[in-house]
Amino acid sequence: MRILLLLVIIFTCVGCTNDDVIRGNKASFTKVYSNILSRSFDIQREKSAASDTIYDREWLSKFTQPIIGISAPKRSEQAALVALGNQDEKLTWVSADGISVSFANGILIATRGYSQDLMESRHGDQFSLFTRNTKKHFKTHRYLDGQNGYIELNFSCSFKSINNNVSYLLDIKLKTTKFTESCTAGTFRHINEYHVLPKTNIVIKSKQWVSESNGYILVYNYYAFQNNLF
Amino acid sequence: MPGSIDTPTAEVFPEGQFSVSSSIFGGTIRTNLSFQVTNGVTVSFRYSRIPSASGDHRGYYWDRSFDIHYLFNEQTKFLPSIAIGLRDFIGTGLYTGEYLVATKDITKNIKLSGGLGWGRLSGKNNGTNIFGMGNERNSISVGAGGTIHANHFFSGKNSPFLSLSYYISPEFQLIAELSSDDYDMEVSTSKGFVRKSDFNFAFKYKVASDFSIIGKLMHGNAFGLSGILTLNPKNKPYKTGIETAPMPILEDHLLLQAQKSMDPNIFNRSAKLMKLDGIELLSVEEINKNTLQVEILDRNYIDVAQMLGRASRIIAKTAPVQFEVFKLKLIDYQSGLQITDVDIIRRDLKENELAFDGPEKLWESVNFYNSIAKKNPEKISLEKKLTWSFYPDIEIMLFDPHSPINGSIGWEARLSYRLKNSIAINSSIKQPILTTLDDIKRGPKVGLPNVRSDYMYYYRDIGIKPYISDLTLDQYFKPTKSLYGQLNIGYLEMMYAGIRSEIIWKDNKKPYGLGLDMAMVKKRNTRSDFSILDSRYVTIIGSMYYDLSSHWNFKLDAGKYLAGDYGATLAISRSFNNGWEIGAFATLTDVPFSTFGEGSFDKGITLKAPLSWFTGKKSRAYRQNIIKPISGDGGARLYLPDDKFLYERIKIYDQKSFKDNWKRFYR
Repeated sequence: MRILLLLVIIFTCVGCTNDDVIRGNKASFTKVYSNILSRSFDIQREKSAASDTIYDREWLSKFTQPIIGISAPKRSEQAALVALGNQDEKLTWVSADGISVSFANGILIATRGYSQDLMESRHGDQFSLFTRNTKKHFKTHRYLDGQNGYIELNFSCSFKSINNNVSYLLDIKLKTTKFTESCTAGTFRHINEYHVLPKTNIVIKSKQWVSESNGYILVYNYYAFQNNLF
Repeated sequence: MPGSIDTPTAEVFPEGQFSVSSSIFGGTIRTNLSFQVTNGVTVSFRYSRIPSASGDHRGYYWDRSFDIHYLFNEQTKFLPSIAIGLRDFIGTGLYTGEYLVATKDITKNIKLSGGLGWGRLSGKNNGTNIFGMGNERNSISVGAGGTIHANHFFSGKNSPFLSLSYYISPEFQLIAELSSDDYDMEVSTSKGFVRKSDFNFAFKYKVASDFSIIGKLMHGNAFGLSGILTLNPKNKPYKTGIETAPMPILEDHLLLQAQKSMDPNIFNRSAKLMKLDGIELLSVEEINKNTLQVEILDRNYIDVAQMLGRASRIIAKTAPVQFEVFKLKLIDYQSGLQITDVDIIRRDLKENELAFDGPEKLWESVNFYNSIAKKNPEKISLEKKLTWSFYPDIEIMLFDPHSPINGSIGWEARLSYRLKNSIAINSSIKQPILTTLDDIKRGPKVGLPNVRSDYMYYYRDIGIKPYISDLTLDQYFKPTKSLYGQLNIGYLEMMYAGIRSEIIWKDNKKPYGLGLDMAMVKKRNTRSDFSILDSRYVTIIGSMYYDLSSHWNFKLDAGKYLAGDYGATLAISRSFNNGWEIGAFATLTDVPFSTFGEGSFDKGITLKAPLSWFTGKKSRAYRQNIIKPISGDGGARLYLPDDKFLYERIKIYDQKSFKDNWKRFYR
């Protein structure tokens, strides 16, 4: 009985420490053991519940900072990201749950906070991709392997454009030029889409590939419609 | 080990992969731990229960053995892959055998292997030795075990073996084999099985990418089951990790605007942001008009470059724009000592943040220095003097033939009180609640002072009573830029109390270091309470450390060990630049093998698994297991917790450590 009582005290007392680092580590070990026992490594971020949000100009007007929206292709709900970094033409946007995406001229160049981050990238014709009559270009994506070395994917891409394409963003109907970028690097393939305001470099909507694990993200550049632009 | 059912194949696992397999059939139980050391070399440790009429424990042998397998020719379009291997090449040799084997994929789904075996692998269908080494297997004198007997390798008759496997689907495989193992011992007892045929049949099913099961019929008589679990440290389940994104860097004009809304105190605003990233800010000091010195303490990041990147980004956000250089001083939590200074140019930090090859370009301008040796300000101790924890404690002890797995479960209370920045009282009190350790039958060895082999008396007398695992006064010091020291006084471990000092020389720009560890101790009584016995022992051990860029680490210790014997310990480990580490060590002293007793000399395998690998989140915590077949008195040392060794604590902040994970700087 004494032994049973002690065991109960011990196992109900898991987490008894005044040190945050020890507490965090012990809790993580417990979680790892339970994951191994249940044969699952699935402790990703909690998925947010589907929302009934209507993404329109009224919704956008509530934001006092420039924002973009990001979602996965098969999901209706979006995360709103605010601009927290700005260097030259490169903008970094951060979500409330700690994911950041960086763009140069509307093209995704880096992510942080995904399980397989796009650590860095190099794009041919990055700043004139949508204004010059580009047919083919090359780009390189870099990821980290399990030993902190680079996995480098060198993509060969073809580029097509459709003028006078009708795009929808929020409750706005727009005429855009739709660029389709088909890229191949060995067994890796993806097709990115950019909806660009005609004769500009302004990408208002895009579907861009992040990595093998994370697949595509849909990006809505709402900030172009803030400050009563329309 | 690569193989079909019971015979080897000329295959290898992916480099760096661990495999743990366990099988049971006909009274035999085998557990294997395999590791793919290089692309061609596989090593394996096996622990087996072997039924035998002459078995020394209730009709069974409990045997530990090592195998090595080398693939020296990879399969080509026309030629098969070819491998050579030694089974049970160290020790008592119950499984001893050698082989040459070839494997070829006949079609996409069919694989054929064939080879010749010697020793145990030549029990049936044997023929004349193809190397002309005679048909009598050279006899060996195993003595106390634990030694290599090269003279009988590939001697005696040899037998062919063959295996054929067919993939019905990528997950399901059928295997048949002709085995030359005669299972001489296993068929000699009713606890074993009857060998009715030379053939084995099996199916292998891949349940998950890292787990397979094998169902088998062995030699027409015994049904068996195996489970194989694989893990490759190179394949992190969470890839880059799931920590939140770091603080982006702003252009100066935006920064000036942003800083207007921040706390006017630089320390406060920086400390708050660093805490969110798990980094403790100790001080911020203006060195001159363009240099800001920042003292930080980190207990969370195994990838120190990532920690440095995050701390730098935060300072770049909070420091006024006139500061062009950030001097970050990195402080070790345990010792309170300053280890390394890192100078980062603010402009380069910013320009390379989102640049291709950004980390590499930044590396060119970052400078590392050994921190100066000065009296540390009392910064850490002011924050939190007392740290305590109370957690379950599990202890496992393997390889006692009377009971191969022993262990205890109970609680451990740890208490640490920091008297000054580099002086602390550390203690651990444990109490087993359920234990089988008090029933270990193996007694102390003879021939040497019982400095370790009498450990069972401690477990017996402790039983389920609380005991002081360790209670020490620890003082750390740094007399010069590259010299670090510590002094530990008190109850050092369960069996010993006394005084111990360690001095380490380590230049953070060099991948090597030197150390000297001296201890004068007395035995504690077997209840591990406060009383101390009269027997006195001294250890004086010099160490040389070398960390190769290829992630092989060497440590050579030499000197006087606990029992008064003189000798050396060589430890080699392969680290994975993500916290995983597997290694082996062996100690040879002037104690004759016969005096050492079973096992001949002290040796073992170490395995270190980092928590961050499993969670994808920052953490320096890890689990370390030491598989040590036999504990003797020769080559014995004090058992001290990892945090009592300075070299590992210092090298985490050396230039090589930063370079190894520098690509994570901007993560």
